[in-house]
Amino acid sequence: MNAGYGVGIGWRPEIAGFVAGLPGLRFAEVVAESVHAHGDLPAGLPELLARGVAVVPHGVRLSLGGAEPVDPARVDHLAAVAERLGAPLVSEHIAFVRAGGVEAGHLLPLPRTREAVDAVVANVKRTQAALSVPIALEPIAALFDWPDDELDEAGFLTEILTRTEALLLLDIANVYANARNRGADPLALLDRLPLDRVAYVHVAGGAEHQGLYHDTHTDAVPRAVLDLVTELCARHRPPALMLERDGDYPPAAELRSELDAIATAAGCPAIT
Amino acid sequence: MSGPQGDPAGQPGGGPGSLADRQAALVKALTSGQPVPNGFDGFRVEAARAALLRKRAGEVARQWPMLAAGFGARWKPEFAEWAAARPTQGSLRDGWDLARDLRARHALPAVAAAELAEREAAWRYDGDSAPRPRRGPAVRSAAGAVVVQFAGRVRVLRRP
Repeated sequence: MNAGYGVGIGWRPEIAGFVAGLPGLRFAEVVAESVHAHGDLPAGLPELLARGVAVVPHGVRLSLGGAEPVDPARVDHLAAVAERLGAPLVSEHIAFVRAGGVEAGHLLPLPRTREAVDAVVANVKRTQAALSVPIALEPIAALFDWPDDELDEAGFLTEILTRTEALLLLDIANVYANARNRGADPLALLDRLPLDRVAYVHVAGGAEHQGLYHDTHTDAVPRAVLDLVTELCARHRPPALMLERDGDYPPAAELRSELDAIATAAGCPAIT
Repeated sequence: MSGPQGDPAGQPGGGPGSLADRQAALVKALTSGQPVPNGFDGFRVEAARAALLRKRAGEVARQWPMLAAGFGARWKPEFAEWAAARPTQGSLRDGWDLARDLRARHALPAVAAAELAEREAAWRYDGDSAPRPRRGPAVRSAAGAVVVQFAGRVRVLRRP
């Protein structure tokens, strides 16, 4: 993405009115599967596009980490949505969401093995072949790891990014969640990731249940996540950062203050 | 388990212990009440399973607001119990299947009756594939609610 997008937000139908009222907004993200490839765009999106807001389709159902080849119809849909929106790039996850014909209903982590790297790389390349814009890959928050990891997280991600030449969608809340749940240092991961490949950054809230931190997207963004935003920007300022909220929407004033807090933590202009 | 030798590069999947088999076993554990595969942290996989059910409950509540409202604070546990061994078919169908189950058990909350009857009148849903709009008119009832659909317009004739 071009430098200077600053702070954005994940567009959702429930907060379309709020998003439309953000005077400084220059970029937003939309769940790719919620946009028809040919029918009407969701109400509110055409107005954002007319204002010149860059809208990035964010896939959640491709299952790039699945052992099976990615579904060509899903890839074509993502490519068509990117073209409809005139998006500068698309994004998806380093995860799988179905296996053996059963939908998991959620993003699931991969074993950090060479076999899994091969599977992801093959699927990303199949997807890239259909896209006319770059793809950014997002590492997920995982509550558990596989028992037979061969690579650490930085090694696993770097290998995938190098072999696919994809961009990185860095979810700083996922970095926080994984480090906290594994008892690891989030800064150590940041120091080993190729931060010059970050296309944009997700920031989201979460909550602790039974000793595990859950990346819920329905709770407030914790101070510790905002502090990580500052640490990240001190190392390498990403072109854009955005708030991801997926339910239990708070009053507009609270959402505005979360956007302002991200802007402050990143040293970007407020968009509210 | 598949070791570093694994499968030929670029062709993961196939064969016992392959990535495909292991992913399928994990998804079954998370969606069908099957045992957690060997080597995983059972507490953490269980936490992920519970989180997945909470997320599904929220998504179904968005598609079926009256159904969820009918259970109030008990919605998430009620849905989680029903869905624990039923992998998702998407939130529209999950809510539909649950509403039909409840109706069959005479346990559909009255406040949710019209919501189910409206959908039954407007759409043809065989329980196995995606619902399709009805072409002809229809009258449907559920738990005391009666709904008529004509030319795609739906009217509630009676509420319980």
